[in-house]
Amino acid sequence: MTVATAAAPAWTHKPKIDQWIAWWTIPVFYNVFGLIFVVLTRVMPPPRPDITPAQIVQFFVDHSLSIRIGFALLMFFIGFASVANGLIALQIKRMSVSPVFAYAYIGSLVVGGLPGCLIPAFAFVAAALRPDRDPQIMVMLYDWCLLSFVGSLGCFCTQNMVLALAIFLDRNDVLPKWLAYMSIWMIVTELLAAPVFVFRSGPLAWNGSISFYLGTVIFVVWEFCMIRLLYVAIRNQQPSEQIQD
Amino acid sequence: MANTSTAHLPASKDLWVFVLGDFVIFGSYFVIFMISRRQERDLFIESQRQLSLNIGVVNTLVLLASSWFVARAVQVARSGEFERARKLTIGAGLCGVVFMLVKAYEWLAKIAQGHTFPSNSFFMYYYMLTGVHLFHVAIGLVFLGVVYVELRKRKPLALVETGATYWHMVDLLWVVIFALLYVMR
Repeated sequence: MTVATAAAPAWTHKPKIDQWIAWWTIPVFYNVFGLIFVVLTRVMPPPRPDITPAQIVQFFVDHSLSIRIGFALLMFFIGFASVANGLIALQIKRMSVSPVFAYAYIGSLVVGGLPGCLIPAFAFVAAALRPDRDPQIMVMLYDWCLLSFVGSLGCFCTQNMVLALAIFLDRNDVLPKWLAYMSIWMIVTELLAAPVFVFRSGPLAWNGSISFYLGTVIFVVWEFCMIRLLYVAIRNQQPSEQIQD
Repeated sequence: MANTSTAHLPASKDLWVFVLGDFVIFGSYFVIFMISRRQERDLFIESQRQLSLNIGVVNTLVLLASSWFVARAVQVARSGEFERARKLTIGAGLCGVVFMLVKAYEWLAKIAQGHTFPSNSFFMYYYMLTGVHLFHVAIGLVFLGVVYVELRKRKPLALVETGATYWHMVDLLWVVIFALLYVMR
């Protein structure tokens, strides 16, 4: 035991090194995430819902390779979301609330990750693999991907409700109350993603100024705050602190 | 009335982050609404005639009354009359419930007339703006409920102010929505 401890490099003795490693995956993950969804697979910002079948086929012909490379990368990196969520769940467990909030937080993100990432990925990959298919089938895969990608935002309502409630009830001040208020904005944006099932153009379509752009701006602001506040929460945590099971 | 000699920011700073951010978000909705209105001016004016100005005015007065109740509740709570503050909070909450009932009636009446969410751009904005606002009213009612319960505990001044600030925000947003949807020609 003592031999092993002596042989281990000095940085592994740093207190909370485990949490710091988990924290650093978050900015790395979101950069890769942005690269995949914005640059490679063209899902963000979403292409138009009101184009012709011929234009949709052309979209897949043009981006066939980058869509497949992008989603192949996603298969490797999507799991990193769970590291970030595990870290947030741990910080929720430090709050003076029941760990049921931490479990619900993780569970709700599992629900959202499926329609928010994996279903759109396989719809686009299937379309990109054989762009010479019947154009009507290409239209279906295109709709399927983008309706699932933007329209599933409501699945994340529970995540934000659980987080907001945990922060409001917490007396240990692990995360500031204003983050809980910001989570209410997130819930409103997520509710406003549902109209993409109704409108094919305008501000509430899947590429709309309200459903997509405003929601994305709020998400990015929220995510930046979350990453920064997690940093502060870990920094302020006593290494000797006992966390409930 | 003032037991503190120095000026202070009423309500918690955390809530002010929310209020100011919410104004930015609603401000964006209003700008987007105005751009669409410019593009389809005749349709917006024509559709606006289908709304009942009277119902809009009633709901505006109901919310203004609730804001008055909340403002009075803060004043009497500051002078230590917590029992009266609780009654005034109940009054504000009841106004909020009336607002929601009137809004529900108005929506049902519009749907019965065939003016639904996808009918046209104007009604899309009408249901969206009033719907998001109604969600804020519902959260506000929860907030007032918490204030009501906490007023038993005699030292809840910061919380009463925070609840009141939230409620005034809901009121202010409605006044702008009312002006844009019902009044502007």
